[in-house]
Amino acid sequence: MSGIFTPELLDRCISCGFCLPACPTYGLTAVETSSPRGRINLMRAIETGTLAENDPTVLEESSFCLGCRACEVVCPAGVQYGALLEEWRGRLWHGGRRSWRLKPLLWAVNRTPRVRALGLVRRHARTRRANGKAAHLMLGCFERVLYPRVSRSARILAPELSVPPAQGCCGALHAHNGELERGNQLAAELGDALAGTIVTTAGGCAAHLAGVLGPGRVRELSQWLAQRDGAGEPGNPRGDMRIGLQDSCHLRNGLDVYREPRELLAQVGEYVELPSAGACCGAAGTYAILRPRDSARVLARHLDEIADAGLDVIAVVNPGCYRQLEQGVRRRRLRTRVMHLAEVLAAYGDV
Amino acid sequence: MVTTAAPGERLRDRLEQAVGARNVRGDPGALVTYATDATPLQRGEPDLVVFPASTEEVAAVLRLADEARVPVIPRGSGTNLSAGTVPLSGGIVLVLTRMNRLLEISDADLVAVCEPGVRTIELAEAAAAKGLLFPPDPGSHTTATLGGNVAECSGGLRALKYGITRDYVLGVQAVLPTGEVIRSGGRLVKDVAGYDLRRLLCGSEGTLAVMTELTLRLVPAPESSGTGMAYFTDLREAARAVSRVLASGVLPVTLEFLDQVCIGAVEDYACIGLDTDAGALLIFGQDGDAHTIERDMERIAQACEAEGATELRIAGSSAEAAELLEARRAVLPSLSRLEPLTILEDATVPRSRIADMVEHIQAVARRRGLRIGTFGHAGDGNLHPTVVLDPADQEAVQGALEAFDEIFAKAIELDGSITGEHGVGIVKLPQLERQLGADHVALLRRIKAAFDPHGILNPGKLGS
Repeated sequence: MSGIFTPELLDRCISCGFCLPACPTYGLTAVETSSPRGRINLMRAIETGTLAENDPTVLEESSFCLGCRACEVVCPAGVQYGALLEEWRGRLWHGGRRSWRLKPLLWAVNRTPRVRALGLVRRHARTRRANGKAAHLMLGCFERVLYPRVSRSARILAPELSVPPAQGCCGALHAHNGELERGNQLAAELGDALAGTIVTTAGGCAAHLAGVLGPGRVRELSQWLAQRDGAGEPGNPRGDMRIGLQDSCHLRNGLDVYREPRELLAQVGEYVELPSAGACCGAAGTYAILRPRDSARVLARHLDEIADAGLDVIAVVNPGCYRQLEQGVRRRRLRTRVMHLAEVLAAYGDV
Repeated sequence: MVTTAAPGERLRDRLEQAVGARNVRGDPGALVTYATDATPLQRGEPDLVVFPASTEEVAAVLRLADEARVPVIPRGSGTNLSAGTVPLSGGIVLVLTRMNRLLEISDADLVAVCEPGVRTIELAEAAAAKGLLFPPDPGSHTTATLGGNVAECSGGLRALKYGITRDYVLGVQAVLPTGEVIRSGGRLVKDVAGYDLRRLLCGSEGTLAVMTELTLRLVPAPESSGTGMAYFTDLREAARAVSRVLASGVLPVTLEFLDQVCIGAVEDYACIGLDTDAGALLIFGQDGDAHTIERDMERIAQACEAEGATELRIAGSSAEAAELLEARRAVLPSLSRLEPLTILEDATVPRSRIADMVEHIQAVARRRGLRIGTFGHAGDGNLHPTVVLDPADQEAVQGALEAFDEIFAKAIELDGSITGEHGVGIVKLPQLERQLGADHVALLRRIKAAFDPHGILNPGKLGS
């Protein structure tokens, strides 16, 4: 069945295989079929009709992929794998083929009033309306419910931002789970609701919004702070806490933002670079919900490293990673605290 | 003597018993992903993909396949560029990526012992942590496996000074197609007992035996390195500069060049301030102690100036060195972005003939209306003429294949080779006899038959 993929995107791959070592699922299996090059070969086979789009291996691999886009960073040919994956899932996961686990999640954040209703029960940051300032803090959908302290901390760090309550979901959740069109539409709506620069505390949302609205409209919080304050003073930590970081995949691989959070953390404690800091923690949006066992396998190495490094705090820059690491740390009974970058800076930095 | 039997249900059951059911894949999706490697335009589906975890399992698989006369195609990460791991007539792709244990790094014996699925960069990093160097660094070293490197006899950027993979293979353990396990060489620098089979297996492209353990030579790591670059108005000057450098008693670790097409493509893509009017760019480097580096970089600079370099830069810091090397690293990404199809070749000539060869390539490209950029290892004459085109344009594809035919003929005429480091595989098998002669090729077939009486290992390639 042809017409699923944009030909120019699929043609880009030169099959060099440089993506293999960067791929977490190839790392788990050592099987080419579970690698970016392998999956692109599957896409090409669907496109030419060699394989049916509902072939069991095709379905399995479209779902086994974390969508972390680590392959894009090492690709010499510039393949936009994330975009191909969205097209793939857009085709395969539409309607009835979507997991029952996903449906309530997507429903809950599909309309702005529902997202606002979710947020009413928790005390996230808010200002009554957009106050005409050029930059706004985005509350996120699940983040405002699960981690309301993140937006309150961000507000303390960046009081110049307005926080209008009339804002919905950015649509990343939809785009990554087979509803690309709705995902893009939600991003555009949010762009209208928050005219000017959108500052977000969620790396995944930042990347999705930047993809739809253009990178000029979007700043992840650490980017915003770094640009506002200029370079901090490295090597002069105010505390002796050992702090590590779990990168947000789409923030790092999609927007090339990874220095900023490290520099900010190094100002409040002893920053420890974990060997797998830049690799996917297995949260991967809804992946931890859809494939809990594989998600835990991907996470295991990160927990080992957190334990070995004896961290006091592991900082995150995305709500999915927050939940993933919080659960992992709890199950392993590690003493390390999981905190969002904003919480770390608000609690231990001098603001 | 090409075996073409397809594996039946019974063979599959026995393979599953040998390596475990989950390590045998026959689903159409898996077969699609093992039908190709990094070579453009070449594909062939296997019937099964098998992932052994030990020498014993490899031996069991080979015995079963040999008995059933089913082809076996050994494979690592599948980065090779001559279709050496593409199945020509079905059979079993034997993937060695699960055998990825780095068994030992000995600074006393200066050797590393590892399984074939260890990636080149993993060994290089483990050696570096002990102050040692594993010099072979093919372009695919982040992905490629050492088993694949040895089987293809990979080269890399440091070949002029340090040699190629073959020069670092001290010993191998290998399973013959009939299932026997042999060892050749070991931890010794001097060992002349018997024919040099470990060297024979280097570059044997998976047609003679399956290597399951490698003993590799390491050398002390150099203290530091220096890097520089020089522009020339035309390629002949750059080639003369290379000869002058070598005549001055300097053996540089890096001596890479880009032709005008490559310089233009890199600058268009990476915008790093290259001089697109230059006819050639030479990137050079030396490693060793600080004194040696300073002296050699000075001599290289003098040689370049004497041959008319229009601009010369010596990196003052490691950041600046990385910037200079970026021009070389960006060549393939830049070229490959121009068109969907990129064919990268590796015709090789004696260093003194580089200019003749590149001029011939450029003339062929002009005559056929093709876009061919040439870059490569000026120090060892290993050139990478690279054509970019649209695969939908059948005429252009045919023209490119004919162009390479002409380029290989010229390389042979200049006492060169049809392949310096990519291997013969499927792609260059038709050219092989032209270079080696009929008697030589007949001998290869007899050697192949001695190892593989039923012709099950990688049939249709070398020795078939």
